[in-house]
Order: sequence, then structure tokens, then C-alpha cells
Amino acid sequence: MPHSDRAERPVVNVAELPDDDPNLVRRAQQRDEQAFAVLYRRHGPRVYALCLRMCANDVRATELTQTVFVNLWPKLSLFRGESTFATWLHRFAVNIVLIDFRTTRRREGRVIATDQPETFAQPTSTPTAGLRLDLEQAIAALPDQARAVFVLHDVEGYTHDEIARLMNLAPGTTKAHLHRARKQLQEALQ
Amino acid sequence: MTCHDYHDRFDAYLDRTLDADSRRALDAHLAGCAACRQALAGLLTLREQTSRLPRDIVPPRDLWPEIQATLAHTPSADTRSAPVGPRSSRGEVRHRPRWLPSLSLGVAAALVMAFFLYSPEDESAPSWALTPLTGTIRLDANTTDQPSRLKIGQWLETDALSRVELAVGEIGRLEISPNSRLRLLEAGATDHRIELSRGTLDAFIWAPPRLFFVETPSATAIDLGCAYTLAVDEEGRGELHVTAGYVALENGGRSAIVPAGLRCRMQPGAGPGTPYADDAPADLRQALDRFDFGPDGGSPAALSAALLHIREGDTVTLWHLLSRAPATARGAVFDRLAMFAPPPASVTRDGILAADRAMLDRWAEALGLVAP
Repeated sequence: MPHSDRAERPVVNVAELPDDDPNLVRRAQQRDEQAFAVLYRRHGPRVYALCLRMCANDVRATELTQTVFVNLWPKLSLFRGESTFATWLHRFAVNIVLIDFRTTRRREGRVIATDQPETFAQPTSTPTAGLRLDLEQAIAALPDQARAVFVLHDVEGYTHDEIARLMNLAPGTTKAHLHRARKQLQEALQ
Repeated sequence: MTCHDYHDRFDAYLDRTLDADSRRALDAHLAGCAACRQALAGLLTLREQTSRLPRDIVPPRDLWPEIQATLAHTPSADTRSAPVGPRSSRGEVRHRPRWLPSLSLGVAAALVMAFFLYSPEDESAPSWALTPLTGTIRLDANTTDQPSRLKIGQWLETDALSRVELAVGEIGRLEISPNSRLRLLEAGATDHRIELSRGTLDAFIWAPPRLFFVETPSATAIDLGCAYTLAVDEEGRGELHVTAGYVALENGGRSAIVPAGLRCRMQPGAGPGTPYADDAPADLRQALDRFDFGPDGGSPAALSAALLHIREGDTVTLWHLLSRAPATARGAVFDRLAMFAPPPASVTRDGILAADRAMLDRWAEALGLVAP
């Protein structure tokens, strides 16, 4: 797991907090911000990785990660423990990202703001902000929907049926996107 | 068939979705074609590289201060009267989060949309949008083939030819098949609820679990984040088929958890039966029907008949049988399930035989099931 020394840590007296997710969630559901901070520290990088790979733009990924956690806070009481918190949060984050996709597509007639690979090859913040590996850059350079399908299927483990429903596409279309994505990635990595 | 044709099957081959005959044909081709082997190796390499991508990436800067600045004045799902905007250090309510001006329009829109998924606005609009797809539908005593709204308490009915799409607030959608009848019971932010008295619906819900409920004469289907088909016949008997995620079925003291790829039957008075896999053989289905709904249902004899047809992959079925089996026969179910999927270290045979709920839940979790 990559770590950054640049990000400052919040002032949290972690010694007084439980270290397991179920108890942290219970504390956070009772409006304990310190517990929520620990949950953010623990799961924020996973959410950021999802957002970054899905939208291929680190500024947008940062905004979406904030969006996820700001929207998560008032929804915590809806978590009943039927799955692990990590699983529930991941699905929540995917929904937020896809809502953003749909909103942007409706407004701009496309999924996200740019298809220009050079945008992703040169992250707008710092070189270590995310897209460092050849494969990561090749994924970022994929067409929007092909990238979203590849990330959800091959990286996150969603099925075609799930992706098709989440993205409002036919399963055959998601398979075509995945085929295209894998082919383009193979070519890019040769 | 050309190499190009085989290449088109590589994705399904790797994803294990290719049917057995096609897989055998491809295996045979690969055995004699070095070019295709090389092409397939390329895909395998990509898959291996993808599997090594880090799950976590630390954001380029610390996002917590900006998130935290918004939390204190964000209403929780059950404290909706609280002010929405964050306060300044002097206590005035701000109209938007400090960091909102820095967001793109797209993200701001997403934030607004996501917030209103559960906002008080939903609760004040007790109706769902409906769109007839084919034919004419009935809303109470009126007929229409135009987009409309389904209100609380209103009955929607399709005839032999009509289908309709129904928006579940902002959290999902339903497609209602011909010869169906349903009623909207609740359209609140945290309780989207319909009654399906007969017919078939296809549901796709993208909200967190336990926000969407379908009441039927046999059981209540509770969305746990999923896509499913639910059918109810004229006698109130039902069948659930889950295609993504999970659905819980509950009726009084009986419950079932049905993951993707499984089905579950239900009957009035008896509640949900034992879930079984899509490809369960007819003998197993009939034996489970006998155990769940037959004249000697729940008996050791009916259970033994069902266990005769259990296969290695039927772990979800076995897990449900653990808590439904008569105490004297529970050991046989434990032994069969333990053979296919050993229990976690903290789960003991004695505990399961005593129907220890916590142990049952831990084993369920180990099987990839969420607790019902």
C-alpha cells in the first residue's frame, strides 16, 4: 500500500477509540467525528483509488472522495451491518462516482471532462498523487466507458450484469467495452 | 472457425463464462495454435498485472480538514431537521460547504444529487414516476398509456399486454410485467415500500441496503443492494431470483438471505423456503419444496431427502438448512456443510447444534453471505 508523508494527520486521540470497524461505525453513527476520522483514514485511500481510476483525473478524484465522505456522514445510520463496512462504503462510493458520471454526461454530452491521455500522464497535482505505473496510465488513457467498465470488472470484481445495471447499459455493451479496454491496454503495454 | 473468431472468445474464456462446448473447442484450438496461445498469454499477463494494482492510493493532500469542516452541521439520516449548511466559527449557518466553491460543476451536481437521494424532499413527495412501456395500465379506476405518478395507496395494474417502468424514488427502478398488481405503501427517504399482490417485477436498486421493500402475501423482500426478479402467483406463492447482490426475505420468525445466482420460493403462511442455486437439479428443488412446504415439512425424513441431492456447491442451501433442521438432524447438515466449507475457527459443532445465532452468522460471513 503506498503511503504519502505529505498528508497531515488529523488531531485524533486514537488511544480512546476502538480499532475495529463495527465499533468505529457505531461511534460515528452517534456523531463521533474522531471515529469517523479514523474510518476516513482507514478507507479513504481505497475510495480515492476507485475515484482516481474511474475518472482518471486526480483533481476530480479528490473532489469525489470528499463528496463520498461528506455524503456518507449523514447516511451512516443506514448501515445495518449486513455486509462489512468496507463493502458497503465501496458500493456507496461507486454509486456516487456513477451519479457524477451520469450528471456530467447529461450536462456535457460525455462521461467526463477529457479523453486526452496526456492529461492523465501528467497528473495536475504531484507526480506521486496517483497515476505512476504504466498500467495505471494506460487505464487512464482508455475511452471513458471502456475505462469505467474495466475498472469495475477487472479491478473491482463486479460482474457484467452488475455493471450493466449500474451504468444503464446492456450486458453485451459492457462486454464490448471490456474487450476493447483489454485490447487497448495490451497494445499500450507492449 | 478462424483465429480471429477464437480471439473474440478469450474474454469469456478467462472470465469463465464460456459454455462447456465452446471451452473445449477453444482448448483444442489452443493446443495446436501458437499464435492464439501467445495472444491468450498476453491477456493473462494483463490480468496478472491488474491483480497487482494497489487497492489503496493516498490522496495527494489531506482531505480530512475540508470534510470535517462540513460534518458538524450536516444532518444525519434520522435528524433531518438539523441545518444543512456548515457554520462559520462564529456560529452562523453557511449556505454551502467551505470547499464547495472549489468543486467543478459536475462534482457539485453529484453532491447535490447524492444528498437528495435521502433528503427531506423525497419524504415530501409521496409518489413515484411511472412510464408505460407497452399497452395501457390501470391506476385505481383510471386507465392510461402516458407517463404519470403512482401515489401512496394507489393500485397499479397491468393487463396481459402492458408493461410499465416505475422509478423507486431516486434509488432504483422497477419493470412491471403483464398481469401484475401492486400498490405503493411508502415513499419516504428511508422506506421505499410497495405491496405486490400478484405478477412479476424486475428490480434494480442502487441505494444502500434496507431502503427498498416489497411486501408479498408470503414474505417481505428486503433489498440489500441488488437486482432481482420477484414473481407472485394468484395464490400468493412467490419466487425470488437474485441476479446481483443480495435480497433478504422475511416473514415473522422465518428469514432467508438470497445472494446472486440463487432462487427462493415462498408460500403464504410458511414464509420463505430454502434458497437454491439456479442450476439446482429438479430432484433437489422438489426435495426442498417438500421440506419447506410439504405435509411433512421440517421433518427429519424430509430433510434427509433433501440432503440426498445436495451438491458440493450448495453451501448457501446447507447454511439455511442448519437453522431450519430439527435439532436431532442438525448434525447431519453440519457435517455436510463442514465437508464442503469448513467453519471458521470460532464456530463449533456444539454451538451450531445449539443453534447459536452468532456462530451461524460467522459461518455465513465466511461463506460470503450477509447475515439475514
